Amino acid sequence: MPSERGSVSRRQLLKTAGAASTIGLTGLAGCSGDGGGGGGGGGSEYPALGNFPVEGDTVTFGFNVPTSGPYSSEGQDELRAYNLAKDHLNNGGGWVDSFPDLSGDGVLGKTVESVEGDTATDADTARQSAQRMINRDNAVMISGGSSSAVAIAVQGLCQEEKVMFMACLTHSNDTTGKDCARYGFREMFNAYMTGQALAPVLEREYGSDNQFYQLYADYSWGQTVQESMNQFLTEIGWEQIDSVPTPLGTSDFSSYLSEAANSDADVLLLDHYGLDGANSVSQAVDAGLDEDMEIVVPLYNRPMAQAAGGAIEGVFGTIAWDSQIDNEPSNSFTQAFEEEYERVPSGPAQLAYAQTLQYAAAVERAETFYPPEVIRELEGYEYSNIGMGEELMRACDHQAQRAIPVARGLPESEQSSGNFIEIVELTAREDVGYSCDSGPAAECELGEYGDE
Amino acid sequence: MSLLSQVLTILLNGLQQGAIYVLLAVGLSIILGTLKFVNFAHGALYLLGAYLGLFITTEIQLTNGMLPEWGITTFGIGLGFLAALVVVPIVTFFVGLAMERFVAQPFYDRPDTDQILVTFGLAVIFQEALRALIGGDSQSLPQPGWASGPIALPIIGNFPRWRLGVIVITAVLVLFVYALVEYTDFGLIVRAGTMDSEMVRLLGIRLDRPYLVVFGIGAALAGVAGVVGGPLANVNPNIGTEQLVPAFLTVVIGGVGKIEGAVLAGLLLGTLQVVLIQTGFAAWNRVGIYVLAALILLVRPQGLLGSEVSVE
Repeated sequence: MPSERGSVSRRQLLKTAGAASTIGLTGLAGCSGDGGGGGGGGGSEYPALGNFPVEGDTVTFGFNVPTSGPYSSEGQDELRAYNLAKDHLNNGGGWVDSFPDLSGDGVLGKTVESVEGDTATDADTARQSAQRMINRDNAVMISGGSSSAVAIAVQGLCQEEKVMFMACLTHSNDTTGKDCARYGFREMFNAYMTGQALAPVLEREYGSDNQFYQLYADYSWGQTVQESMNQFLTEIGWEQIDSVPTPLGTSDFSSYLSEAANSDADVLLLDHYGLDGANSVSQAVDAGLDEDMEIVVPLYNRPMAQAAGGAIEGVFGTIAWDSQIDNEPSNSFTQAFEEEYERVPSGPAQLAYAQTLQYAAAVERAETFYPPEVIRELEGYEYSNIGMGEELMRACDHQAQRAIPVARGLPESEQSSGNFIEIVELTAREDVGYSCDSGPAAECELGEYGDE
Repeated sequence: MSLLSQVLTILLNGLQQGAIYVLLAVGLSIILGTLKFVNFAHGALYLLGAYLGLFITTEIQLTNGMLPEWGITTFGIGLGFLAALVVVPIVTFFVGLAMERFVAQPFYDRPDTDQILVTFGLAVIFQEALRALIGGDSQSLPQPGWASGPIALPIIGNFPRWRLGVIVITAVLVLFVYALVEYTDFGLIVRAGTMDSEMVRLLGIRLDRPYLVVFGIGAALAGVAGVVGGPLANVNPNIGTEQLVPAFLTVVIGGVGKIEGAVLAGLLLGTLQVVLIQTGFAAWNRVGIYVLAALILLVRPQGLLGSEVSVE
């Protein structure tokens, strides 16, 4: 239920009522406007909105990630990075020392606390979990999502509740396309850009006269990957034989793969992620499909490559980020993460860390937690501090404009060194993307700031 | 692709898909047929088998659950797959003996609703305890090295080696149990007990020991199914419950107490699922097995190979 401007949302009512339970409802009539000034973060300057103002000397972030379900391995790595970000925000370290906006003693002088929730890789569960964080824990920012279905559901809720959502791993076109939201920001690129980055590489490697077959995860993300790959591969002269949906959480792909093998395609695209992706690529190699066709996994990551083992050899795909990307921010994040957890961070972990710090920095620049001001700080923000070169957080759809790494899986014999993939190309920001009135952005209506 | 090879591929896929159902259903079926005991903890034995297999086969890093909080971060002893294939059925056999003695025996004379409640309760407790200890993560049980990769078959072409192995292992085990029940004195007593336990007792034959062994065998088969089926999908705390219902369907369709019925029904269900997936009705593959079960039971309430006499 979006709260109409000027009316009091049920939650604000409860908060205020909790603070002064003896006051009758009539006593609230004049309260909604001044937001109980005196709370930190620019108190009386702005009216109450969402979970603003932030009372007391702590501020709560909500980390809503899958710790069960097919994307749990990604979710757990995100959680490690979120906790690292929280620690750095409060005590310094990592990028906090290099971001000019961040001080290392909390955000706007408040100590950062966090609440965690398991989305179970399921949109409804995720929404309930986020709702709890917003209502019960007064989270001022929610971050997370490994599944786009989850990210889109939570982003929609955050728009209604006027609480910021910093999307972590979500790659569907819809997140910053038809389901975009004023209150949501995405650092991760999308399926459309993956198609743009991958098609030239595939054409160079496999030629321009190929037939391809797709298996895709049957929800928002897989559907947009399937569409975008079809679009950009058709443009380089390839022909799609068929594309077949598989339910999210499928663990046995053997029958689908048999059918793919029967198709006599030259290239097999496996649009699966997380555990599903590791399973489908391993099972494809197990069934000998790689002897007759080239396998492509449009989006993957380090843990998936590790789980797939030797099966990932020669498989092309795009990745969010990898610790092999050699520059100052990348290296300092990898180092801090390894010191804390004795393991190499994955791409989703870097996204989680980056999104948390970007939010905190935007709050510092805005000098308030008041969401509309924080949003305006992020819109059109240009930065080059997270290890992916020069970037822009575009105002029209809240989609980061950035370079995209294209990776290829290493053979098992070379994996012992702890590297499972090599980066074959860093597709420049100029070579991917679309204007504000085309591609997925054409369908984006961001919605209200909440202070109109 | 010729039509012949397509049909053969579907059949082979159906065989491997149905193999796990068969392994579970044979044990369930003989326990239900002989002991008249409804064991809803059968899926938990499968789950136990899969995790024991994981424990014996590999070393995994734990990141979730209570064990890591207590400082135990690795799980498993890395002995390899063959060891698991031998050890797990022995362990689950003894678990089965204990279950018969302490769970089934006190409930033989009680209505089957009580049996369902107590065994299902146990299964849920086991499943959730496991989740609490090591988290709800899915793990992959690696298939044995000698059975990874494809094998080139005539007509069909490449087929995953391990899935062929699953079919062979299932066939061997089921034939072994079938021979045990059909051609040994033990089997004779068990079958006689199934028909008329009172008469067997009057003849001075004690049934409690054969019953114990039947339960053990059923449990051992479920354990093996966990090890064999582990590499085909993922291992997580939910797999026991997920397998339980298809296994029961298999028993009911095949006819309670009939080993050959369980085999036939398992293969039917597996093949149906594969056909639905490979003809573009993947979304219906779960529903499909229920529809098939309903149709068969409408025509033959006692199951495909069940005897006319209703089992009470």
